[in-house]
Amino acid sequence: MATGYPTDDGALEAPAPERLVWMYTQMYRIREFEERVKSTFTAHPGVIRGHTHLADGAEGSIVGSIAALAPGDQILTSYRCHGYPIALGTDTKAMMAEIYGRSTGLCGGLGGSMHLFDPARGFLGGSGIVAQHLPHAAGAAWAAQIRGAGQAVVCFFGDGASKQGAFHESLNIASLWKLPVVYVMENNHYQASTRSDQEDANAAAGEPLAVKATAYSMVGITVDGTDPVAVHATVAAALARARAGEGPTLVESLVYRLSAHGNLIAPPGVPLHYPEHEAVAIFGNQAEYEAALRGDPVPRFRHRLVTDGVLDALDADALEATVREEIDEAERFALESPLPAPDSGLAYVYA
Amino acid sequence: MAGENGALRQGGGTLDANVARHLLVTMWRIRAFEERLEPLKRSSTVHGLTHLSIGQEAVAAGVCTQLGNDEIVYSNHRAHGHALAKGVDMGRLLAELMGRADGCCRGLGGSMHVVDVAHGFFGATGVVGGNLPFAVGAAFASRLRGDSAVVVVFFGDGAAQAGIFAESVNLASLWQVPVVFVCENNGFAEFTPRSAHTRVERVSDLAAPFHVTAATVDGNDVVEVHRAFGEVLASASAGKGPFLLECLTHRRSGHYVGDPGGYRVASDDESWRDKDPIGRLVRRGATEGWFGEDAARAIEAAARDEVEAAVAFASASPFPDLTLPADLTYAR
Amino acid sequence: MAHVIPYIAAIQEAIREEMERDERVLYFGQNMATSPDDPFLKQFGPARVRVTPISETAEIGMATGAAMAGFRPVVELYMAEFLLVAADQVVNEGSRFHFMSKGAVTVPMVLVAGYGFTYGWAGQHTGSIYGMFMGVPGLRVAMPSTPADAKGLMTTAIRDDNPVLFFHHYLLALTEGEVPDGEYAVPFGVADVKRSGSDVTVVATGNTVHSALAAAETLAERGVSAEVIDPRTIAPLDVDTILGSVARTGHLVVVDQATRHASAAAVIAAEVAQKGFSSLQAPISLVTALDSSIAYAEPVESFVLPDEHKIVAAVGETLGLAPLPG
Repeated sequence: MATGYPTDDGALEAPAPERLVWMYTQMYRIREFEERVKSTFTAHPGVIRGHTHLADGAEGSIVGSIAALAPGDQILTSYRCHGYPIALGTDTKAMMAEIYGRSTGLCGGLGGSMHLFDPARGFLGGSGIVAQHLPHAAGAAWAAQIRGAGQAVVCFFGDGASKQGAFHESLNIASLWKLPVVYVMENNHYQASTRSDQEDANAAAGEPLAVKATAYSMVGITVDGTDPVAVHATVAAALARARAGEGPTLVESLVYRLSAHGNLIAPPGVPLHYPEHEAVAIFGNQAEYEAALRGDPVPRFRHRLVTDGVLDALDADALEATVREEIDEAERFALESPLPAPDSGLAYVYA
Repeated sequence: MAGENGALRQGGGTLDANVARHLLVTMWRIRAFEERLEPLKRSSTVHGLTHLSIGQEAVAAGVCTQLGNDEIVYSNHRAHGHALAKGVDMGRLLAELMGRADGCCRGLGGSMHVVDVAHGFFGATGVVGGNLPFAVGAAFASRLRGDSAVVVVFFGDGAAQAGIFAESVNLASLWQVPVVFVCENNGFAEFTPRSAHTRVERVSDLAAPFHVTAATVDGNDVVEVHRAFGEVLASASAGKGPFLLECLTHRRSGHYVGDPGGYRVASDDESWRDKDPIGRLVRRGATEGWFGEDAARAIEAAARDEVEAAVAFASASPFPDLTLPADLTYAR
Repeated sequence: MAHVIPYIAAIQEAIREEMERDERVLYFGQNMATSPDDPFLKQFGPARVRVTPISETAEIGMATGAAMAGFRPVVELYMAEFLLVAADQVVNEGSRFHFMSKGAVTVPMVLVAGYGFTYGWAGQHTGSIYGMFMGVPGLRVAMPSTPADAKGLMTTAIRDDNPVLFFHHYLLALTEGEVPDGEYAVPFGVADVKRSGSDVTVVATGNTVHSALAAAETLAERGVSAEVIDPRTIAPLDVDTILGSVARTGHLVVVDQATRHASAAAVIAAEVAQKGFSSLQAPISLVTALDSSIAYAEPVESFVLPDEHKIVAAVGETLGLAPLPG
């Protein structure tokens, strides 16, 4: 299983065939992982607590971006954070155990789904409050700028975050100080259960949200986030600019979240599950959702690689089977792992 | 739209001798008031943090004199000019700054927290940018009431980098409320030049990405401010959504009384002296035949007399009653 | 060896010395380092010393990010109320990360903010809001009352691996005092007995330490021996030193410039009520601000604040003495 840290091999060039296969593998791993998280709600009721947000539909954007990173780069994410560490090589067993709240989890069960951290792989964490990690990314990029070792930072967030003051303040300073950071906005067109045209002046006017970059004298680009190769090219170019001291970029990556915003929010006693996507459940727009399913980036990318002769269909089947085994193992590991000792958190309140 | 200022309001910012004279009166009242504040502050008759707007009077005058009492103005920490131009009584304003019972907030608010609801002056706020969403909310209320009374909010260029600016402007645009964001761009956010705050040259450049119509004008030319704001006001009143008017001006005083001003460049101050809004209107008035130099001097003298009367009024006012905190902490 | 400098200069001295010792220390905020003559800028350069726009959320958030990435930022906020503009960043981000990551990340940053500027700054710039942070797990809260403590606590704040709120009292800014030369650190969670006494324990913070010391002087003239304790940090809070004192005096008066129910005094009183009840010979007395915003007008401002006379009166009442004049 190719889960090693992504390399900087020819970041600005189109990915080589083996790299494309690696990218597909990561996309498939993310999809399988997220589907397993989702099915846990019905297969093992009560195992996942609180609120969980899935990345299915955004795999192309996630993997295309991560594939453009170089060793030493860092990322920060929103609470929809499972996909990135998978592509960075974080152990899926530890991730699933964290989501199940087990002592063997990535954070010992103290953080849960919204708060995964893996600083050793450059993942500085998922923040649970919309947009509040955008300044953290600027700070990490400032640190990289001071170090002067060519590191850069990528910050992932949703379209809803761009209405937060933290977005405005962070992008202004990042541009002003020419910080080596790439802000990747995964525009999935819904801020939880609100359509973006209900909350965003640009969306209401039918404009791409990348236009917001002009308020900061910053480059803003919109890319098809379901195409990992296009995302890779865009983010790689933005990272090159960042490393060259040319400042930050706002990349609007258009994706479609295939699951609802998160699992049902309910008081104790009510079984949790994943409701239907808001397009259907709230807006009654079955056609939109079905179109998104037809555009599902994971099978589309497989089809493209197979058609282009990059990946043999049988090899694709084989790698998918391997991934399913990996995720089976992650689930089994997490289920069998013990819950943390009740007092295990107290040691971590202060450093 | 009646009111002591609204009576002078004319569609589209049209300006005649009568209006020009009122603008000069307004600017001289602000200038004389603030010049008198310096010694009052230095003698601690006025205490606390006091921000002056000397040099920026054209914006307050050009905007507020076109508004009636039912059109709300939200001000910021540099509020004296806006208050006076909006019709707040000078004696009660000074009493507030001296912490006296006859102050418009009974001495509890002071320079940064002036409120006079009767004159549509919903007040100043002491935290940068904090007034922006209030104005959006008040404009939303106008729309709900159906009268589309325009709400004006003053802010400095420093506030434009605060997150609350983006949040407020996005909502104002999305909901198409009748608010006018008036930026007094004096080139300094408190003590820091604009170049240290952003790479975006004009605050008006920030409005376009939010789909808000914006313009930048010479904020030291009261005739220009009056014209530009008149147009914006007419459009906003007609329900054409929010606007942003950036007025380029210059704060001739420090950030606050006592600010040593080490961050300022002397040559900047020199070049701006020629652009003083009062001197410019006086010269323009003579050319246009609106008023002669004698009339202008009489306006200045009257303003200074009014200030002395305000000093006498405020000085005679007692300090507020000590039961006020208990009475006013909660609404009853 | 020691030298005499103002309280505010002692804070700057600690920051400067720590920046000299540790190149990971950064210093930034609004309205600072704007001139090339700025001493910090000259000594440490624009990479480590920077002016920011008026963007509190970004300032504190960037400090969090830079801290996670290995630096030790010090953010100059000026006024404590400006922390509230970025409340999420202060209480709900950096303070949680060490815990949520099971120690994988640390957030060593210092947020420097002045408070209690009850000198005509009116409703929005005079608050004593430290109490709302002392119960946030993961945050430390320091509030020095003397120049020496200001230096020593700042040194410790910068070296601490957790987010620290460093609250300096604006009315003390120019108060001069002896400050040790060179490296000087005051440990967190260690209260300082500012004056020893045997009849009553008076606990006070920030500027009220000086009101309490003045009250103790007045009380001494009347034969009452008051012990004045300054906790110096309210998170962690040195409850043991206070309990030890109350065990000897049997009486406790807690002074706080905050409003009563938002005060550190209320927490201190609760700790002593639970853990030192048997020592108490009279109810604990709290001398706090009245429940009001701070007025602009001077007489109304003074009226709601704790002062020396109110402390003397509270001590008299606690000890069951006849009302003391003035």
